[in-house]
Amino acid sequence: MTFHPDILCPFCGLGCGDIGIDQDDSGIAPRPSGCPQADRLFRRSATVPTDARMGGTAVSMDDAVAEAARLLANSHAPLIAGLATDVDGVLSALTLAERIGATVDHERSDALFRNLAVLRRFGWSTTTLAELRNRSDLVLVVGPDPAAAFPRLWERWVVPEPAFMPDGARSVVFLGGEPMPETAQLLGGQIETVDPGAADLATLVAGLRTALAGRAATGDPMTGLAARLRAARYAVVVWAAGLFQGPQPDMVVEGLVRLIRTVDGTTRCAGLPLSGADNVIGANQASGWRTGFPLRTGFDGGVPTHDPERFDWRRRLQDADVTLWISAFRPEMPEFSTNGAVIMLAPPEMAMTPEPALFIPVGTPGIDHAGDVFRADSVVALHAGMLIDRGLPSVAGVIGRILAALNQTATVKETAGC
Amino acid sequence: MLTKLAGGRLFDPANGRHGEVADLWLRDDRVTADPGPGATPDVVYDVTGKVVMAGAIDIHSHIAGGKVNLARMLMGEEHDRHRFAGSACGCDRIGGGSGIATPSTHTTGARYIEMGFTAAFEPAMLGSNARHAHLEMSDIPYIDTGGYLVLGNDDFLLDLIATNAGQAAVNDYVAWMLTATQSLAVKVVNPGGINAFKFNARKLDLDEAGPHYGVTPRTVLTVLARAVYELGLPHPLHVHGCNLGIPGNVATTLDTIQAASGLPMHMTHIQFHSYDTAGDRKFSSGAAALAEAVNRTPTLSVDIGQVMFGQTVTASADTMAQRHTAPLAHPRKWLAMDIECEAGCGVVPFRYRDNSYVNALQWAIGLELFLLLDDPWRVFLTTDHPNGAPFTFYPELIQLLMDRDYRLAKLAELHPDAPAHTTLGSITREYTLAEIAIMTRAAPARILGLADRGHLAPGASADVTVYSDLPDRRAMFERPDLVFKSGRLVVRDGALVAMAQGCTHVVRPGFDDLIERRIARYFDERIGLPIKHFRIQDAEIRHGAGPQLHPCRRREVP
Repeated sequence: MTFHPDILCPFCGLGCGDIGIDQDDSGIAPRPSGCPQADRLFRRSATVPTDARMGGTAVSMDDAVAEAARLLANSHAPLIAGLATDVDGVLSALTLAERIGATVDHERSDALFRNLAVLRRFGWSTTTLAELRNRSDLVLVVGPDPAAAFPRLWERWVVPEPAFMPDGARSVVFLGGEPMPETAQLLGGQIETVDPGAADLATLVAGLRTALAGRAATGDPMTGLAARLRAARYAVVVWAAGLFQGPQPDMVVEGLVRLIRTVDGTTRCAGLPLSGADNVIGANQASGWRTGFPLRTGFDGGVPTHDPERFDWRRRLQDADVTLWISAFRPEMPEFSTNGAVIMLAPPEMAMTPEPALFIPVGTPGIDHAGDVFRADSVVALHAGMLIDRGLPSVAGVIGRILAALNQTATVKETAGC
Repeated sequence: MLTKLAGGRLFDPANGRHGEVADLWLRDDRVTADPGPGATPDVVYDVTGKVVMAGAIDIHSHIAGGKVNLARMLMGEEHDRHRFAGSACGCDRIGGGSGIATPSTHTTGARYIEMGFTAAFEPAMLGSNARHAHLEMSDIPYIDTGGYLVLGNDDFLLDLIATNAGQAAVNDYVAWMLTATQSLAVKVVNPGGINAFKFNARKLDLDEAGPHYGVTPRTVLTVLARAVYELGLPHPLHVHGCNLGIPGNVATTLDTIQAASGLPMHMTHIQFHSYDTAGDRKFSSGAAALAEAVNRTPTLSVDIGQVMFGQTVTASADTMAQRHTAPLAHPRKWLAMDIECEAGCGVVPFRYRDNSYVNALQWAIGLELFLLLDDPWRVFLTTDHPNGAPFTFYPELIQLLMDRDYRLAKLAELHPDAPAHTTLGSITREYTLAEIAIMTRAAPARILGLADRGHLAPGASADVTVYSDLPDRRAMFERPDLVFKSGRLVVRDGALVAMAQGCTHVVRPGFDDLIERRIARYFDERIGLPIKHFRIQDAEIRHGAGPQLHPCRRREVP
């Protein structure tokens, strides 16, 4: 039995670096971390099937790569999606997309685009997790409890006393959402809930903005909250847009950014938009630097084109004749239906029906190989290490071989010229 | 592979050559001595009458990292309008991308190498964002890169200073951070000001005690300048001073020079720090006073941050200054972030207009500085890309410096009140090719400690640019005849013909590892991340190629 302390978790996007992992001949298992995602996803068997499958029949990796290259080369409308992989995997997917004229998107980009739409048309004022932990004396949580998607958010970033507040005190106010029982247990008396009736989020945010402008009706419960935001030294407004229900979630986000700007005019106030599981932030960052555009970008004749509506993977799935689906972090699939052929790059534990045209097993970054992932606050990139060798290739490795097969005219491998 | 460039005029000021006709020999990735008669080159390029220089080096250009990527997101309209297919060079057609002010990675590399630049350095890398910056730099082809670590607003350092931990502890911390983040130099941005802004201070002068720590910007500046000097880093402290962009800030800038009290210092984008308050509009040029101070202080070097007209975006760690600029955003959107108890970032799109009095004067002030600073070894060609203008304006800027008639013609097109408030019209100086070679090659390599870059002596990296000596200097510098990166011909007649990869330059000054315990405790208690996850390994640099190390030589302040 070997114990690995302080292992970095690549899954939800909080980037916890303190996971303890036990390893023996049967595989790896995490010590209880307080996070259901880490506790489940770090549990892997040492022995797994490493064969690729074509139509359900085991084939060699060489044959699988050749078939993938053939399918993609002959495709008229290829889609590369899922995109749940480390930064190297995303970059290789972007190279492949440029080569074959595919569009790219991440499985979980919906939450991201609710925030990005506002960033791109209006801008934003935000902060990061360590600032939340050390500076905020008031945390305003808007919408459902983000701990549903980011389990250790409160434990790691809000339970510790803020180092830069004179008395170390901090309040947490929920607006338009209830704390989960675990959250209530952790934060106890710090929590307050403001929920004036059954209004939707957009209405609540508008109400708070009205109160901040000093135009609320007498007795409006928002008046008190507005005053507290104004009186706080460093308020942080936290939301997980992926959990927002109701129409036009990006309008809720825009309302929040405007609200933050108002408060930040006289005291300090910043937002913390969270969206990040399975390296969706890293995928978007890599797309940003490689193409100049966010996810939902395609390459027509090698020229990047961005279209947040048309290139949403759910929509593209309808007309794609070949889909390369990448899901390296977890053996789980979303609702999925397409008339085209599917090439699946996923952990061998993935069970899917119907069986895809081609299945190529890949390792998980941070378990089977090292890889870079971005944290949910979008600033910090982390390098998750390798824990166990199960003979599984990385996504970048597999796509690299597909690209090589596509370029039969031998590619010269570039090395740094120092 | 032996290559001969025959009959060119060599502008190689580091080796005292100012246009002498000589053959230049390259063996594989290095410049080599003339192998003598009997040697048979594999390739000969006849460059008779052409101008031959080392590859150019940009010491200050925001090309990678979080704020640049955020700027790309914010500049969606520009990216939609400027989209590029990859170049069909080598075997692959790769390198498609978009953007002018915030080009994507392959586009960045392509635009630089097409102009004969073979290196560019990201001058504002936050420790917490360093891995991101390195990931981006690894994805920029053709050119060498490196990052300057931003310090001076980090709570850890301010706490060291406030608790009188001593210069030795500061030095160890700086050295540890440089090592952990794989950086080449140290930059300070609005010393203490970004931190003060987190405590809701909207302004912080050089001698004003900041909130919480009670430390003045002057102290932060001198402590860091001394750390950089004593650790023996090749590049002096890279300083983005207080009060950027504020009328009257030339007084602060002159005080900052004094604050250095003899310690070497590089003051960056000084155009933005050279404003006086004369005239009806309370906005005038302070260039003459500043140039005079720089000229008589040999321990100082500067780059300009020239403004050129058109749409761009300003991206800076200086959240305090960016909040002042935000109301001028064009288009009307901007973003700001506080980051990891280290610093922040602010991104504000901006359009400099030649019919605006202020913008016209900014343009003139930058040129005044270039022309009034008399030592080209201490002044560097920058637009503070993209803050003053995209780096693709360099050929135009070189023409403005080399051609007075062109300069006067442009001056006449500006806001009518601007010429009266600048001495630019009366300055007759024209830069020579030798001076351009110093300012864009020899001097940047020297001030960054890149011993085998920026010159053409045997052993130097075979980064070479060949130009036709055209009277139209803009055309000349826009479109070199030949560009070699590490000995490989990558650009011919201004077009890419092959792929190449550069490397990432770093320093590693060494430290007493006692400091690591204190840093580790801070990371556990405040940052919430074990330091082993913060530290960037060599294998993470350039896809496993690792960094290029440059020596540091410890010194003592006399």
